[in-house]
This record gives sequence, C-alpha cells and structure tokens, in this order.
Amino acid sequence: MAEMEVKGGGHKQGPGVKKSKKLSTRVDLTPMVDLGFLLITFFIFTTTMAQATAMNLAMPKDTDKPDELNKVKESGALTIMMGKGDVVYYYFGNDPQKLQTTGYKDIRGIILDKKKSTPIDDFFITIKPDKDATYKNAVDILDEMSINDVKRYAMIDPTDDEYKLIQLTEQAGGIK
Amino acid sequence: MGRAKIKRGNTNIDMTAMCDVAFLLLSFFILTTKFKPAEAVEVSPPSSVASKIAPQTDAFMVSINKEGKIFIQMSDDMKGDVINELSTSRNLNLTAEDKKYFTQSLYVGTPLNQLTQFIRVKPEDLHKYTAAGVPADTSNNELQAWINAAVNAYKGKKINFLIKGDNNSKYSAFRDVINAFKKNEVFKYQLVTNAEDVPAGSELEKKAFAGEQATE
Repeated sequence: MAEMEVKGGGHKQGPGVKKSKKLSTRVDLTPMVDLGFLLITFFIFTTTMAQATAMNLAMPKDTDKPDELNKVKESGALTIMMGKGDVVYYYFGNDPQKLQTTGYKDIRGIILDKKKSTPIDDFFITIKPDKDATYKNAVDILDEMSINDVKRYAMIDPTDDEYKLIQLTEQAGGIK
Repeated sequence: MGRAKIKRGNTNIDMTAMCDVAFLLLSFFILTTKFKPAEAVEVSPPSSVASKIAPQTDAFMVSINKEGKIFIQMSDDMKGDVINELSTSRNLNLTAEDKKYFTQSLYVGTPLNQLTQFIRVKPEDLHKYTAAGVPADTSNNELQAWINAAVNAYKGKKINFLIKGDNNSKYSAFRDVINAFKKNEVFKYQLVTNAEDVPAGSELEKKAFAGEQATE
C-alpha cells in the first residue's frame, strides 16, 4: 500500500529494448506499523497509572480512668452512626432519641452546617459504625472528616441503646 | 513543440517516520508499564481523597476480604525475623525448612495449626486453596500474636502497619483488626485506598488551594 506503483510514469520503452528489472530496495513498512500500534494499544490498556494510596488513621488508647477521657461539650457534639443498607443516622448533643436519618451524599452538608454554627474548639464528631455497616461506610465517613477538615473526631462502637434505636429505625423504614 | 510537463503526484508514503514514532511509543510503554504484582488476596479497597502513596517497604499489611477473612502480608525482609519470633513465643517448633518455606510464601491465611501445610502450597495453586483466614476473635486471637511477633522482631524500628479492607467487608472484621493492633499498643495505621479526586468547593480543596499541606 505504501508502495503504490505508478504506471506509465517512466520513459517509454521502444520495441526491442530489453526490460531490465530493477529490484526495489524499499521495504513495505505497513505491517510493521500495524504491529507497532497494536502493541501500543495493548500496553496503554494494560498499564496501571493509579497507585494505591494510604489514609492515616490514629486510634486512641483504651482507658478506664475518667480523668483521661476526652470531654465533649454537648453543644458541639455531633454523633454519626452507620447502619446497614448505606444509611447514616445522626444526632446532635447527647440524646440519641433525636436520631435523624440521612445518606452518605447529604452528610457533608450536615457536618458543614454544624461546623459553621459551633466554635471550632467545641466541635467534636463521634463516629459509630454498628456491626451491620461495611468497611466502605467507615472509610467514607473518615474521608468526610478530611474533606471537611474536621480536626477532632473519634471512632467508637455504638452503645446498646443506640444500636437498638438504629434497629428500630431500620425496621420501621424497612431497610434490609 | 514543447508540451507542458504535468507533474505526477507520487502516491508513495514514507512509512519510516510513522514507524519510528510507533516504536518509540511502544518502547516507552513497555518500559514504564509495571504489571500488577500477583494479587495474593483478592480485595477491592474503597476510594478516599488521601493522596499519600502507600508505603511498600517495612510493610505489615492486614487484608480483609469480602467474607471478612483476615490475611497477613509482610515485606520479604521482615518474614525471617517475624517467624523466628513467633516460633519461639508460641512454641511452634518450626524446622529450618518450615521457615524457608515461610519466607517464600506470599501471605498467611490460615490458623497457626495449619500453617506448615499452608506455606507448602505452591503460589500457582493458592487460588484453589480455600484459606480459612487468620483467626482474630476473642477466644483465639492469632492476629494479635502475629502483630506482637512483628513488633518484637522490629523493636525500635518503624513498621508501616497497613490495613486493606474490601468494600463489602463488614465493619466488625475491621474492628477485630483494630482491637488486635490496640492490644499491642499500636495506634497508628494506614488504610489502603484508591485515590479519588477532592470534591470541588470542599474545605480540603480550599485548604490545599491556600497552599497549606492537606491533612491525610
């Protein structure tokens, strides 16, 4: 294809002139180019540019001494709980009965609203994934902490009362 | 009579240049491509905005697969020290041959009483082997023993503790892992995730824009 012979271009050959065939030194590179691009496509598709990243997580040491415990002001506390079916529950202060239900998309707004309305030193988020939550849920919420630049947060287990409340809400809402 | 010469267009295309470019690109991709190291445990981690690359050296990685089974992977240079330490602390009576097999194995995925058989499974047969996972429940917390061995073998040196959980694994499995780490006084971990873009207009983006270092 690359070597298309153009007929009739050369000088006229009279009768009786012996045709001396000239061997072309040109090589048809088309298949080679084809092969080259095929391999390029293969390597482009198999190459992995994305590398695994790591997110730091520091957990507190368990302690029984009350004076070592962090104290959280009720006015600045936000508790986020994760249940099954990718549902998030949250309440302000320390009354779990005021539980509200939301999703992972809307939790950012709630965190930001609370952050704006409280003094920065009082703001504290407690993350409580229950045993039906997935690992992804926990990472998503931890990620929200870094997205919204929340300085003070802790991840603990929900209390029995809170777990019961979540289960009741789940039953009422038909979340499986 | 002079006839105007019509210049005939040459339809020959010189493929050499194109060929050059093609093979230049080809060699670039061949050289830069890095095949994914054979995934010992099939885990698809969630994504996060964290931008720090996961460390590969001195790494002690606990993986949680989607069934909640726990697997341990270590850097190659750690394996020898850790197995020596564990062998003495748990009286495993491992032979030198066992230890050699252990340093060649890809990961730990069984309770200690099956360890000697497990490490003799050839890497290419591992996918057929249904590993039970390392037990981490309260009655028989072997994960804690492994972490303890790693901490003791690497006293004074820094180990990068990594946790890689599957999207669909339950939080309770993750909590077991965290508790095993806590019992060994290890409080800092890195969660392996896939990189994700920072959402537009978020606080983190503003912070990064302001030139401050983003919190990870």
